[in-house]
Amino acid sequence: MSIKSISAVCAVSLGLAGAAFAEYPERPINMVIPYGAGGATDISARTIAEPLGAAVGKPLVMANVTGAGGATGSVAVQNAKEDGYTMLFARVGSHSVNPAMKATLPYGLDDFRFVTVYEINPVACAVSPSSGITSMDDLVAKVNEGGVTYSSSGVGSLLHLAAVMVLKEFGVEEPLTQTTHIPQKGGGAAATAVLNGTATFLCTNSSAISSFVANKQLVPLMVTTKEPVAGFDVPTAADLGKPALHQLVGWTGIAGPDGLPDDVADKWGTWMAAATQDAEFLEKMTARGSVIELMSPEDANAFIEGQYNTFRKLVDELGMRIEG
Amino acid sequence: MTQRQVQMRLGTGALLVAIFLIIYAIPQWVSSPSNVGNIILSPLFWPYALAGFTGLAGLGLIFSGVRMAPDGPRVDAPCDTPGLAWLRLAGMAAIMVVTMVLLPRLGMVLTCMLVFLASAFLVRTRHPVTAVVCAVIIPLVLYAFFAHIAGVAIPQGEILRLP
Amino acid sequence: MSFLDSIAAGLALVGNIESFLALFAGVAIGVIGGAIPGMSATMAVALTLPFTFAMQPITGILLLLGVYKGGIFGGSIPAILIKTPGTPASSATILDGYPMAEKGEAGRALGMALWASCTADVISNLSLILFAGWLASFALSFGPPEFFTLILFSLTIIAGVSGESLLRGALSALLGLLLATIGLDLVYGTNRFTFGDPNMMGGLNFIAVLIGLFAIPEILAMVWNPTAHVGKARSLGKNWVSFAEYRRSFKSIVRGSFIGVFLGSIPGIGAAPSAFLSYSEARRTSKNKENFGKGEIEGVAAAEAGNNGVAGATLIPLLALGVPGDVITAIIIGAFMIHGLQPGPMMFILNVDIIYGLFIGLIVSSVFLFLIGSVAIRGFKYVADIPKRILIPAVLVLCIYGVFAVNNNIFDVGVMFVMGWVGYLMVRYHIPAAPFLIAFILGPLLEDNFRQSMLMSGSDPMILLRGPITWFFWTLTVLTVIAIARAGVRAVRGAAVLSGDLDD
Repeated sequence: MSIKSISAVCAVSLGLAGAAFAEYPERPINMVIPYGAGGATDISARTIAEPLGAAVGKPLVMANVTGAGGATGSVAVQNAKEDGYTMLFARVGSHSVNPAMKATLPYGLDDFRFVTVYEINPVACAVSPSSGITSMDDLVAKVNEGGVTYSSSGVGSLLHLAAVMVLKEFGVEEPLTQTTHIPQKGGGAAATAVLNGTATFLCTNSSAISSFVANKQLVPLMVTTKEPVAGFDVPTAADLGKPALHQLVGWTGIAGPDGLPDDVADKWGTWMAAATQDAEFLEKMTARGSVIELMSPEDANAFIEGQYNTFRKLVDELGMRIEG
Repeated sequence: MTQRQVQMRLGTGALLVAIFLIIYAIPQWVSSPSNVGNIILSPLFWPYALAGFTGLAGLGLIFSGVRMAPDGPRVDAPCDTPGLAWLRLAGMAAIMVVTMVLLPRLGMVLTCMLVFLASAFLVRTRHPVTAVVCAVIIPLVLYAFFAHIAGVAIPQGEILRLP
Repeated sequence: MSFLDSIAAGLALVGNIESFLALFAGVAIGVIGGAIPGMSATMAVALTLPFTFAMQPITGILLLLGVYKGGIFGGSIPAILIKTPGTPASSATILDGYPMAEKGEAGRALGMALWASCTADVISNLSLILFAGWLASFALSFGPPEFFTLILFSLTIIAGVSGESLLRGALSALLGLLLATIGLDLVYGTNRFTFGDPNMMGGLNFIAVLIGLFAIPEILAMVWNPTAHVGKARSLGKNWVSFAEYRRSFKSIVRGSFIGVFLGSIPGIGAAPSAFLSYSEARRTSKNKENFGKGEIEGVAAAEAGNNGVAGATLIPLLALGVPGDVITAIIIGAFMIHGLQPGPMMFILNVDIIYGLFIGLIVSSVFLFLIGSVAIRGFKYVADIPKRILIPAVLVLCIYGVFAVNNNIFDVGVMFVMGWVGYLMVRYHIPAAPFLIAFILGPLLEDNFRQSMLMSGSDPMILLRGPITWFFWTLTVLTVIAIARAGVRAVRGAAVLSGDLDD
């Protein structure tokens, strides 16, 4: 058996077979989480699973399918049956940064139908206190001196793109040659790299570094949202006059394979509206620094498409695209 | 096989693997961007280094094999009927291939029942009745555990869809 | 607040029946979860996490810690009984545990595993309490160059687990390193040996490789010769580990515990390398060197001490810095955050009651581990009495379920099968499997840290010599390599003398 056919088989396996759906859903729904347990996507998915399961009325079976920066799990859903019984927790990394950066990605945005985006994570940039940098201007000055490095959770991750995009917005002409990217394995390792001086700065989801900021182990420089973020006593992108950076946020949404029927998508819209009203869910998510913002399927598609285009333009301009 | 044969065969095998990697596999299947600044940082560096070391290990094995006495004691376990044994191994390989084909179609539970039966009879179990009973019960119990307690999405088939 | 006040505050927090119940339940869940191959301690912790959302923070975290500790021990049960490590950390336990089970001494092996685990657990917890602050500051001085040298040194473990031929051990390690290159390149994100398949892009699943390498060859060997075991006593036997044996292995246990504490306090190493390092050190210094790998009880003790020594110590970077050392502690950090607690230096000031509550809970967990472990061994040991030709198909089915469950991917089942044949070939050609596994774990770390160092320094190799830590590990590595080379030369001479063709 060739590798291709094995992979096809695997892909089908998750989209369990099902007869015509008289009354969707008539059995448990598989929810694929393309990242590992304990990560931002996993916690977000498992937090919404409780109120969402109540709204759906059938159990949601959560399945972490990890690997290749979210690609393995995404492909599993891309190739699944379009019956709405296999859905994906899509994330900024797997569904706007990766498609913008990786030519070799085995899927594109067109292979999915987004039913919602429900969570927005502000992005914050931070440095270690020992670096002596206290503002974005300091950082840019340091970049021009040379020798500045930034960490990320891997090539083609949000963190990778965010650092480049922020530098570019602040007037660094050639962020790729003037600074060095030191990729790490995972977001936790990326923050540690700044803590122990391996890298100078990082730009990541505010929730990932909020405890380090609270403990004064990291110094935040800015957040990319319009509104200030609790716990981050720094200027926003709006304060700094860089509205283009508002596009640079993390998000979590739910998607199905491209051919997902309209009535299924509509049902998800109603369920999500009910689930995101849940007080406990709201409390837990906002405590983690997330902004709960429910988008309709159309808004979600437009939002992701817009973010993708912004990223793609930057990637092409700087020649960051990963071929081969 | 004698100790010397083991070393010689392994050494030759390792050398062949190293040559194959260096000449064909690495250039073909490892892609490297054109703008790599430094050779040490290239994605190709590490695989080439490993292939080189594998070749060295192969040479070392051959060298140590040559120095060994040609008529040492046999090191592999004897088997009464090698012909049948090879046939059984082939049977096990077939079971594995069929498992991969059936898993997504029949679902985990049914496939595993078949795997259990096939492999139990392949090793000529002395307890055929127990084997059949276990073949039915064990996959079901594991399903119940993984699907309902551990919350794993165990693949279901077209024919049998368990609650 | 004085030390006594802190303890009192901690006691007030955990001094209720609920906390102890949670801890007890956690250890029990962990032992059972760890004992199921493919479940692994990681999955057991991940699956327990949602249940903690509704609990008090301290109760929930104690539950998770209980699962973690129980899981690390539980993994040794199937490692000894059916040669399938329940959790990666227990792979080193197989080396001597399974041969003991083959000799009908499973009970002794399991007993020693439990005693060694509990001892290491106590040492690890005490180290956490005494050294958390000090070791935490040390952990942050580990950048890529320091990691590179540490891992380079760790690779010398391979010599200790190579068995009869160092060259075959090296070949095994190289195969492991080569296989670990599959996946996306770290620095450029390009494909390496993925053949365009998204399932390969993430690299081969570690658990699938692990189970394929150890459990499946056992099945294939059974298929090759189904009656090989007939007539061999494989029942558990009445024997139980004696105190004299425990005392004899005590030095190895303590050494293993401290290796575990040291490696555990550095984020990113994990329990499996620690178990192997402890094992190879025990073998190196033991009087019964020859018996290692053939069912030496001290080997079981060292391996189990090495992996359980990590369990308490990984909490050092977690509590003191908020840095998770491995996947399990990453999940536990998630639990802290969900309850609005932020691990880090400030926690020692703001939530000192929780910190000391956890310390007290951890000490108690060692006792629970001993109680539950004893019961679990009595329950699981009957596995050894199941007719082998019923047990083997059952193990196969269990492996299929378990490997699928790790990442919900049928592809991994295929990886396990293929690795099973690789492992079987290795057994037939007397290539040891342990170096393969160590290299498979450490290889990517070695490469990544090397390239990260080069990125940091702009390709200046002198960065690999920065600071005293790198010098320390370089020295250790050189000394070990010299020792290995001398032993190797002596072995070759010895063999030549035996075969009578020594010319010089």
